[in-house]
Amino acid sequence: MTTPLLDVRDLTVTINRDGRPITALDKVSFSVNPGEVLGVVGESGAGKSITGAAIIDLLVPPLKRTGGTISLNGDRLDQLSPKEMRRVRGGKIGFIFQDPMTSLNPVITIGRQLCDAIETHLRLGGNETKRRALDWIARVGLPNPDVQFKRYPHQLSGGMRQRIVIALALCANPSLVIADEPTTALDVSVQAHILQLMRDLHRESEVSMMLITHDLGVIAKMADRVAVLYAGRVAEISPVAELFANPSHPYTRGLIRATPMPTADGGVQLDQIPGAMPGLGAVPPGCAFNPRCSRAQSDCRSVVPPLVTQESSAFSCFHPLERDVA
Amino acid sequence: MTSVVNTPSAVRPRRSRLSKLFHAVCYAPGATVCAIVILLMFVYAFVTPLFSQNPFEFAGMSVLDSFIPPMWMEEGMSDFPLGTDDQGRNLLTAMAYGMRTSIVVGILSVVIGLVLGGGLGLIAGFVGGKVDAFIMRVADVQLAYPALLLAMIIDGAARAALGAERNVTTAITIVVLSIGIAFWVQYARTIRSSVMIERDQDYVSAARITGRSNLSIIALHILPNVMAPVLVIATINLGIAIITEATLSFLGIGIPVTTPSLGTLIRNGNNFLQSGEWWISVWPCLVLVLFVVSVNILGDHLRDVYNPRLRGRS
Amino acid sequence: MLNYVASRVVQTAFVLLVISFIAFLLVANIGDPLAALLSADATVTERAELVARLGLDQPLLARFLHFLGNLLQGDFGLSYRTQDPVSQLILERMPATIELAFVSLLITIAVGVPAGIYCGVNPNSYFGRFIMLISTAGITLPNFVVGLLLIAVFSVQLGLLPSFGRGDVVQIGFWSTGLLSVSGWRAILLPAATLSTFQVAFIIRMLRTQLMEVGQSEHIRFARARGLSEARIWYVYAIKNTLLPVITMLGLQLGNIIAFSVVTENVFAWPGLGSLFLQSIQAADIPVIAIYLIFVGVVFMVINLVVELLYPVVDARVLRRQS
Repeated sequence: MTTPLLDVRDLTVTINRDGRPITALDKVSFSVNPGEVLGVVGESGAGKSITGAAIIDLLVPPLKRTGGTISLNGDRLDQLSPKEMRRVRGGKIGFIFQDPMTSLNPVITIGRQLCDAIETHLRLGGNETKRRALDWIARVGLPNPDVQFKRYPHQLSGGMRQRIVIALALCANPSLVIADEPTTALDVSVQAHILQLMRDLHRESEVSMMLITHDLGVIAKMADRVAVLYAGRVAEISPVAELFANPSHPYTRGLIRATPMPTADGGVQLDQIPGAMPGLGAVPPGCAFNPRCSRAQSDCRSVVPPLVTQESSAFSCFHPLERDVA
Repeated sequence: MTSVVNTPSAVRPRRSRLSKLFHAVCYAPGATVCAIVILLMFVYAFVTPLFSQNPFEFAGMSVLDSFIPPMWMEEGMSDFPLGTDDQGRNLLTAMAYGMRTSIVVGILSVVIGLVLGGGLGLIAGFVGGKVDAFIMRVADVQLAYPALLLAMIIDGAARAALGAERNVTTAITIVVLSIGIAFWVQYARTIRSSVMIERDQDYVSAARITGRSNLSIIALHILPNVMAPVLVIATINLGIAIITEATLSFLGIGIPVTTPSLGTLIRNGNNFLQSGEWWISVWPCLVLVLFVVSVNILGDHLRDVYNPRLRGRS
Repeated sequence: MLNYVASRVVQTAFVLLVISFIAFLLVANIGDPLAALLSADATVTERAELVARLGLDQPLLARFLHFLGNLLQGDFGLSYRTQDPVSQLILERMPATIELAFVSLLITIAVGVPAGIYCGVNPNSYFGRFIMLISTAGITLPNFVVGLLLIAVFSVQLGLLPSFGRGDVVQIGFWSTGLLSVSGWRAILLPAATLSTFQVAFIIRMLRTQLMEVGQSEHIRFARARGLSEARIWYVYAIKNTLLPVITMLGLQLGNIIAFSVVTENVFAWPGLGSLFLQSIQAADIPVIAIYLIFVGVVFMVINLVVELLYPVVDARVLRRQS
């Protein structure tokens, strides 16, 4: 067993609504190993983005981290001062934002934004900083780095902007990158290119990655292991092949079946999970999935199932699906 | 029909606005204090004249009583709690008369602006096309001039046009008209855009199909729906109109000095500010500021209650 | 880009033409220039000569074109009140007003910008709220009340600064400046402070709202996620985004500033254009009022045009939207 690069234990985030604290993230635990891509998957509102933001202390108020520990290489991130946290952000943990249309500063050139990020963490001096910035523009696949360097975000297409966002997240050589829905806001044709770019960069730099997405297709292409979130809790964590072949949690199976995938006979199978995920503050007692679960029994309605580890995977379910013996 | 989603607004009951107003006053202490201040000032302005003589007409005012400071200062007299001016007028009474004029002028000019702007806005919104374009172009050109400056220019032109036939009544009429005209654009724009939204609603089409005339559609369906934003603007503009009147009168181009208004009182007091008789100008200044600030806070609050979208516009 | 500039210039010119026509109608229809310019015992020939000289026997449109032609040649007509050419009156008064506006702009930038940034960066701090309270007062208080209060405190009570006039002025060509003498600077402080009250309050509120809005935007969050220092985030990344709306809003407030200069100049007996305008209104001096109307229109329109044409310098996105 390798020492994990990032280790998150019992991470709890609450939102204060009219003086009443509501749990948005309930004791979420997972880890990311060096060089690994951990996919974090779930429906919108399951707490994926909150998890990502909580790790680098970038939650938007009134969201607030209220419990748990976060360690990077053994250093506790949850106890850092704001100043030390700034060194982690960008320097040790890069963050790729979702929407390239809004996440680049519209009135500052691409080059300036890159140089600022590099200069903040690496302190290289003017010429070397600029050389690195140009190098990164080229590495993310933009032609004519010298030209792009002087351009403003609005002069680039969505796909090009997302490449710059990726360069900004990686340019200070972080050991972990958190990518929050990096392809969701893009055209389908561009999505594939961006995913390919992320795979290439991951392979070249051996940076670890936490890939947040709602798209199981992206997970299948990119991830080594997958954490499934449901209503602010971890439902299941498994290596990607095992998750798709043998899901343990009924929700995971439901999620896989709800994704359109071609079947052997050439048709498309699509099964919906009945009902909807409970919203913030409306999580039922017991297992959050119990109202929608066909296997739910009385214990599911009263006790929150703990996350149990079984071989290489972990799940929180009292009545897990049996493994197909294939 | 594309506007199905909007139909609930069409059947919005009118009573809910009254209860909204009730809520607005009950649950916002700041606004309530302002409402009470405004009420007290109205009482002060309109009740005081009932049992005191107008110090600006009263022939028996005594110059012997002139320049008496407020009662808590040395030489102050309890007969004149806030002191007297250069003509021996009791400032407490004089300000009630001044406020009465200011409030009446303010309300009248708001009404003028409302009628003028409302009418033009209704026409622009309902008729559309070239008429709409023309009215809105005029509005755009007028917006190049701030209301205060425009009121001054209209006032100046009217003075020149009327020549020597000026008297107190025409002077006040000119002030009311020039402030009213200077403020029509805002009403016109608001009402026009409301009309253009409401015009295409299902219920208006329905009314038209059942053979109602444009006029009755306006009266029955559109006016009730645009009332709330317009009343909010009118409240805020009442404050601005009173400031404008005071400014014009202070500059000597508004209400004639022989008639008390907050502006003329301050103008008169300004002559004695240098020589140390500060109270003659400071009291009317404070009353003006208190009243205008109260009206503004109440207006802002009403705006937030009735239509949070209007927030941030001035 | 060139097309855009051209169309904006044409638009501005058209609006100015309309304003000139309104001003012309004022001059043509209100007041009696003959009565104003002729002595009581003028003969019929003298009268006819003046009618011909002023072109009063021509049709309306021809007279308007004549009026326009004169305007463009710098002939603004004669004041009914002083019988002087209006252009001469304006030229005499202009330096005082421009210096007043200039110093009040300096105060606005020196006071309003730092205070506004402070309020935008620390919106919930006690000092930030205190500044907001003051600026609310600054927006609501009538201009002349501010002036009177400043006089009451700084001239009458403390006796620190003069309450009227320009102090010692130095004549440089046609320009008389008060900014070269100590007494001139002392004299300009109170009126400039009065005139800037509104601008200062306005710019504080604008900067605060804009900065708070930008502070919540996704690109600022991303800048934080890259570990940039708070100072760089606020003073470079956020501020650059607020420049455009703030400059625009300030440009749109120019009209108010001109209006308030009339009031301020009156309170402080400042011998500028505002006082001239006020005296002309009191005397129903229509030619001066009409020219002032055009003058304000020109200043307002031209500054707006300049502000708008400067946009691309501040924010390159505008260019793309135009093309």
